[in-house]
Amino acid sequence: MERVLEADSVVTRFGTEVIHDRVSFTVGRGEVVALIGASGTGKSVLLKEAIGLIRPSGGTIRLLGTDVWRSSADELNALRRRFGMLFQDGALFSSLTVAENIAVPFRENTDLPMDLIAPLVGFKLALVGLAPDAGSKTPAELSGGMRKRVALARALALEPEILFLDEPTSGLDPVGARAFDALVRVLSESLGLTVFIVTHDLDTLLSIIDRAIVLSRGKVIADGPVSAVMQADDPWIRDYFSARAPLVPEAS
Amino acid sequence: MDSAAGWIEHETEGDASVLYLRGAWRLANLGAISRALKSLPPAEHKRFVLDGSRLKELDTSAGFILYRHLVGIGCTESTVSARGFDPRHRKLLRLVHERMTCPPSAARSMHLGLVQRVGAAALKLGRLLRTHSAFVGVVVLEALGLLRRPGRFRAKETVAQFEAVGLDAIPIVALVTFLIGVVFAYLLGVQAQRYGANIFVVDGVGLAMCRELSPLLAAVIVAGRSGAAFTAQLGTMKVQEEIDAISTLGLSPVQVLVIPRLAAIVVALPVLVFVGDVAGVAGGMLVGAWQLDIGAAAFLDRLHAVLPMSAFVIGVAKAPVFGAFIAMIACRMGLLVARDARSVGESTTSTVVQSIVWVIVLDAIFAVALQSLDL
Repeated sequence: MERVLEADSVVTRFGTEVIHDRVSFTVGRGEVVALIGASGTGKSVLLKEAIGLIRPSGGTIRLLGTDVWRSSADELNALRRRFGMLFQDGALFSSLTVAENIAVPFRENTDLPMDLIAPLVGFKLALVGLAPDAGSKTPAELSGGMRKRVALARALALEPEILFLDEPTSGLDPVGARAFDALVRVLSESLGLTVFIVTHDLDTLLSIIDRAIVLSRGKVIADGPVSAVMQADDPWIRDYFSARAPLVPEAS
Repeated sequence: MDSAAGWIEHETEGDASVLYLRGAWRLANLGAISRALKSLPPAEHKRFVLDGSRLKELDTSAGFILYRHLVGIGCTESTVSARGFDPRHRKLLRLVHERMTCPPSAARSMHLGLVQRVGAAALKLGRLLRTHSAFVGVVVLEALGLLRRPGRFRAKETVAQFEAVGLDAIPIVALVTFLIGVVFAYLLGVQAQRYGANIFVVDGVGLAMCRELSPLLAAVIVAGRSGAAFTAQLGTMKVQEEIDAISTLGLSPVQVLVIPRLAAIVVALPVLVFVGDVAGVAGGMLVGAWQLDIGAAAFLDRLHAVLPMSAFVIGVAKAPVFGAFIAMIACRMGLLVARDARSVGESTTSTVVQSIVWVIVLDAIFAVALQSLDL
């Protein structure tokens, strides 16, 4: 399988504190991969290193075959058109309407005329399951779930090959969270998208993820299908997967 | 070969039109694809067959544009069929078709006409002024509440604000008033020298600096420096729901946030005005010694003789009023911020504009009122 994201011995230090101690993993094309780990293990930092926002202290990260931290600004910008990123709280531009938010990548990175962009924006809204009239609202008027959907529509605008999601279901109610999961899965299957999710959500993990990478104490301590990771012999992993145990009726 | 042929080949099989899609149907080529679709012959109620066997790539945008065109020329689900697509492309087209509801009207932010904008702005201003007075009432009530329970007054916060508003502003206020003192004395001196009335420059500089210029300059600097800071601080706290958190803890945001700032600015501004008086007069003295042959001792003697105490007192006494207006406007605008980043910027701008306008309006009112009182 073609590798679209490769992290090789990534080291991250903030001052004297070592966040990542030679972290390595790969993601293949079309996979839906989750990065999990306790709070403060540097999951989001790793994500930002992968997309060129934070420079790692050591190691290499290759995204779609390009070394993110040894490429020129032009190469990096070209690369940035090939992936989409959904930030934790949506990061919608608050001075623009929903429709204008989604139109930004089209306007800045394509030379399409306005009479093509407008229907495309409407279609992207429909693609993420929003009604067309949401387009005229401002981000402040949207609920958390709608913000995430709009942000997803913006991330999908330029037909990315990889989608990075930072805690996509945090702050959503369980129904909304499951609907969002289902949407991501449908999109990844139909569009052949590679999806890389940073998440805490056990339900996301159990429902739509092909493979999980577990980060703990600065290292990757497990990497494989969710069912295999669940069996791993590590105290944190055991606690994590049993966090819900009292709520689940015991199999007698 | 920019025509349709690069992207679509059109053939007729029996009563159906077969459209062979060719090449990379991707977002990057969407402009050309859209033109190619437009150059196709009209439908005329024929059946269409989409053939994907010559298609290299397909993405959702291109799929959407294709379907949109077909719907636009009157095709329905029953008159279009697909064949020969790669399974991936078939899946993608199915998703596009499912999600494709009627395309929305192009949604844009509304652009108002001139009259509407003037009207909307006037109404907004009226509402703002009305709610300002309500806010003044709230602050007064909360301040009275503090008088009954003085233990709740936040002395530490007030002192910290005093440092930020007053002490930290001393260098900039001194610099600005000093330079204005220099400029003012120089301009007066050029005129006075013609009549040999050099010594009257002292009267002019002393009176102007102490009574008008120093209070005005100090207030404008504080409005720009601290007023803007107050609005941005409170606005950001509002965005982060910190103000709601303060209320939830059983505290009054007005007592915790507004009154310390109000107290700090009301105390700090007279201090800054005094600093401004001294620096402005010093600027005048420099020009006097340098250009007008008035030595420092002569300058001070004359100043002592001609500057009425009332001019200095009026100047310093205006300061707390200016300060109270600046603090109230700044805190009010900060608490008015909506939950987004743009709103913080708008409120901060509005604070500075409103504060400076109010300071000048108040100064004019003082000037007229004191004149009629013969002060």
